[in-house]
Amino acid sequence: MIYYLQLTLNGIIAGSIYALFAVGLTMVYGVFRFINFAHGELIAWGAYLALLFTQTLFTLPIYHAVIPALALTVVIGLAQERYVYRPLRHGNRITLLIASIGLSYLLRNAIRIIWGSDLMTYGLRPMRGISFAGLSITPTQVAMMVAAVFFLACLYFILTRTMLGKSLRAVADNMELAAIMGINMKQVSFTVWVLASVFAGVGGILLALDTNLEPIMGLTNLIKAFAAVLLGGAGNVWGALLGGLCIGISENLGVAFVSPGYKDFISFAIIILVLLFRPKGLFGVLRGIR
Amino acid sequence: MRKLTIILTGICLIASVALSPAMAAEVVVGAVTPLTGKLAVYGQGFQQAMLLALDEVNASGGINGNPMKILFEDNTSTSKGSVSAIQKLITINKFPVIFGPAASSNFLAVCPIAQQNKTILIGAESAAAAISKCGSYVFRVFPSDLLQGKGVAELVQYLGYKKLLLTYVNNDWGVGLAEVFKKQFLEDGGQLLDEFSYDEGKTDYRSEILRIKKASPKAVVNLTYIKEGATMLKQAYETRLDVQWIMGSAAKSPKLIELSGEASEGVIGTYPTFSQDTPQYKAYKAAWEKKYPGKKTPIFGEYNYDMVKLTAKALRKTTSMSVDDIRNALINASKGFIGATGDKTFDANGDVGATYGRWTVKGGSIGDYK
Repeated sequence: MIYYLQLTLNGIIAGSIYALFAVGLTMVYGVFRFINFAHGELIAWGAYLALLFTQTLFTLPIYHAVIPALALTVVIGLAQERYVYRPLRHGNRITLLIASIGLSYLLRNAIRIIWGSDLMTYGLRPMRGISFAGLSITPTQVAMMVAAVFFLACLYFILTRTMLGKSLRAVADNMELAAIMGINMKQVSFTVWVLASVFAGVGGILLALDTNLEPIMGLTNLIKAFAAVLLGGAGNVWGALLGGLCIGISENLGVAFVSPGYKDFISFAIIILVLLFRPKGLFGVLRGIR
Repeated sequence: MRKLTIILTGICLIASVALSPAMAAEVVVGAVTPLTGKLAVYGQGFQQAMLLALDEVNASGGINGNPMKILFEDNTSTSKGSVSAIQKLITINKFPVIFGPAASSNFLAVCPIAQQNKTILIGAESAAAAISKCGSYVFRVFPSDLLQGKGVAELVQYLGYKKLLLTYVNNDWGVGLAEVFKKQFLEDGGQLLDEFSYDEGKTDYRSEILRIKKASPKAVVNLTYIKEGATMLKQAYETRLDVQWIMGSAAKSPKLIELSGEASEGVIGTYPTFSQDTPQYKAYKAAWEKKYPGKKTPIFGEYNYDMVKLTAKALRKTTSMSVDDIRNALINASKGFIGATGDKTFDANGDVGATYGRWTVKGGSIGDYK
């Protein structure tokens, strides 16, 4: 029993990271109607920038390095929008998609040039986990869950309690109508990119704290984020959150029944089933808060 | 007049080309070597070691009185470059014997070409197990990864673990290695508590660790790479899984310790090695220092040295310069051939045996396990 509980707990932790990635991805989709492939690179850049600020020039402790790292990740996110996506916004959706794939290569290889392809770490000592009732969890994992809850709560507050959040939801619902109603599109787009970048950056840093840094860390996790987005219904923020948790839990629990070598199979089987039977996502019907 | 000059020059050229091999009667072997590109740092060392062996061969009478030569073709450290280099050596130079390129992927790219064209291909640096299946004309003086499976089984027996858990990376390399290990381990009377593979390149192996924990083994054989190994060690440490980890040589790197910190403490593994106390190795080292004073012996240099020496022995013994005769001579010459890197007797796959050293992590650095 404890075994399954522990697997579920591991699933929740993995899922909360997937959720952090998926929320940003789905928000950009909700407003601009395209899948940003370069979202994964925001994850990796967040992690690498935190590394930069802990190293040679700055030697900040990691929890201080997070702040400038996130700020710079936001700058990259905004630059993506300003110099690539905005000029192409009125083009074909495929154009945006291809541009984002190109951007993803550019940003990923920039990491390779600056830091090399080798694995890196923040150099923190591994810590023994905390045990309670037979379950074990590490301080980093606790931080991951706390950060995920904190940032998602902030998101909930922004989306439901502020004018900005309401206009964001209005734009996601119908961009032209929202513009006619006098909603400031620039402000909305700014907010979406800042939120998406911060969520990606935070997720990236937490992931790197828990494991390592490598240039393709964003790409590998982006696929899980895609799965979460699809599961929740593209553009649905709460759907993405639940989708992330679902994927995390199901793939971790699955280990009890199939070889862990096929762990990814579980999440992709779910995607295919959802696409076949509930193409709008499991939570598409509920409509949730967009 | 002009026309005549051209014709005369032409005749001279043809004559010189046609006559030169007959006059010098050199025995030439081709070599696809990374002289530029990312492996160039190593390639230069390989080349120097080969030339060292070549000097010794020619000093002791060459190939039955004729000088031996190696024609080096650069492969720019890529598979593509290796393919065009070997195609030139096979179709234009028509060499019966070619020394293959470093890096298993490059070697695997050229081995079907050599096999198809019935050209002998010998490798000195490639470890991939798949090379054993390249064909009857492909040989290597470097031990196959597969042998490591046996090496690990011997280590386990030495450590006295009768029951353990086996886990490995889910790819050709991991699965192949695990099969060999399992066979040997079960033959030795061992018992597997659980066995599973896991995906390469992931960042979260906690569920895998839990599965290990569930079987509560004393020791875990994990056939893994640096990144996966380090992540698992770290996450095992965090989840308080305290077992004896046993690994292969692919995880033997200071990077493993850098990535997993004190979680890597006490890991034991094997790696292919050879004794540096043999007269053969000492002779190689002395010869190297004489020819290249002040230079350190290069990585895998001794394997390249053995490869050239063994090839020369075969060429001296062959009854004719036809490929099949050379191939037979090579197999015969290898029997009991003790080079700087030990016994180079080829088995049915053109592979050599290996002896294994044991490594461990102690006090944050890698050393020999005693």
